[in-house]
Amino acid sequence: MIVFNQVNKFYGDFQVLKDINLTIKQGEVVVVIGPSGSGKSTLLRCINHLETISDGTLTVNGISVGDKKTDINKLRRNIGMVFQHFYLYPHKTVLENITLAPMKALGQSEKEAKETARLYLDKVGILDKAESYPSQLSGGQQQRVAIARGLAMKPEIMLFDEPTSALDPEMIGEVLDVMKTLAREGMTMVVVTHEMGFAREVADRIVFMDAGKILEEAVPAEFYENPREERARLFLSRILNH
Amino acid sequence: MLDFSILTTNMDSFLEGLKITIIASLIALLGSFILGTLLAVMRIAPFKPLNWLGTAYVEFIRNIPVLVIVFFAYLAGNFGGMTAGTIGLTIYTAAFIAEAIRAGIMSVPRGQMEAARSTGLTYGQAMRMVILPQAIKIVIPPLGNQFINLVKNSSLLAVVAGGDLMYQGDLISAKTYVTFDTYVFVALFYLILTIPLSLGVGYLEKRLARSH
Ligand SMILES: Nc1ncnc2c1ncn2[C@@H]1O[C@H](COP(=O)(O)OP(=O)(O)OP(=O)(O)O)[C@@H](O)[C@H]1O
Ligand SMILES: [Mg+2]
Repeated sequence: MIVFNQVNKFYGDFQVLKDINLTIKQGEVVVVIGPSGSGKSTLLRCINHLETISDGTLTVNGISVGDKKTDINKLRRNIGMVFQHFYLYPHKTVLENITLAPMKALGQSEKEAKETARLYLDKVGILDKAESYPSQLSGGQQQRVAIARGLAMKPEIMLFDEPTSALDPEMIGEVLDVMKTLAREGMTMVVVTHEMGFAREVADRIVFMDAGKILEEAVPAEFYENPREERARLFLSRILNH
Repeated sequence: MLDFSILTTNMDSFLEGLKITIIASLIALLGSFILGTLLAVMRIAPFKPLNWLGTAYVEFIRNIPVLVIVFFAYLAGNFGGMTAGTIGLTIYTAAFIAEAIRAGIMSVPRGQMEAARSTGLTYGQAMRMVILPQAIKIVIPPLGNQFINLVKNSSLLAVVAGGDLMYQGDLISAKTYVTFDTYVFVALFYLILTIPLSLGVGYLEKRLARSH
């Protein structure tokens, strides 16, 4: 479904991604971890073309992401993205945040878009906040709205870039619970997170990155209990003992 | 004591000047808003030659006295004074409005554009529906101040016989030899325009600061 083939990416002379080969199948939940600056966000952002790759190929459902002939807006409708800092539209209500893209990019009627939006707000547990503005919500609630905004486009893939690392500890659980539900329902997910509980519970695979390379791929139990790579071992001991 | 007969006997001229000043300012505002928005988008568009062109315009025009620009507009075309003056003002003010709009757009976090784009909205849709509505809050106060400057700068129409308030003042003082009093009335007419504008901008600033 998502296939990286010998992908490299440079910022000037600096190489952020090195020979990335990675295949993510439909319905798979892949958790990406690694030290700061290792290229996790960049890897994720290449998938929906927020970043362009320098060479190699990257396809989503067989469609080449960077190709000039690819309708990138159409491709993006199929890929939801959730950011560390939510990025809800502050001038719009929760409901308007969610209905904007379905109406403007999919051409849904307002009525239809609102119905779908309420459905997903209910799913993430904040239907009562539909008419609020983002600034009136807690961080955890905002992130759940952001997830609902992504889901309202009915994408096949959801990307999460450290969705809980800007949250107060007591709000992390509510966001992870929503993500776990999605994972169990068969959503294809690529998640950058250091939340081990989440990874162990729902991830099919852990991808460990360091300095732009994928150093290790393993199922969670294997990775967390017995990482093959010394760098991964070191990294794990650091995040577990902090 | 002011000689009020200057005002009463020349009321028609003053009002004619006021009218021209208002019209020239409004046209120049509209023109420089359109040109300024275009320049702002040029400066942030993901295309280097456009960035460069936009920057060159803004830096060039901002660093020339507006009087010189008005003169050039007058000499360059076969226009009347009012048209030439209004064009000169537009060219000049557009550079400042471009900077205000650009600053407004830049103040919106980059993630807003990325979030909007990643839901499948086009660049234009994201700009219109997500970025500009947030930018406008920041842009309106400086835009209001530019408009006040524009009204004041429109007095330069007088140097190219533009028929504005200042020009009428020149004519009246030449005719009556009552120079000081005439220009006091001219100043008062400008204040009638600029003080309400100034208060309006202040009010908007407060309201926008409170809104979401
Ligand atoms: N626009 C850019 N220009 C130059 N270098 C960049 C740019 N964006 C990212 N980088 C660099 O690329 C490297 C990888 O960045 P990336 O954000 O993908 O790392 P990350 O693994 O997500 O890190 P973190 O855990 O801190 O989020 C970093 O060294 C970063 O400084
Ligand atoms: Mg990152």
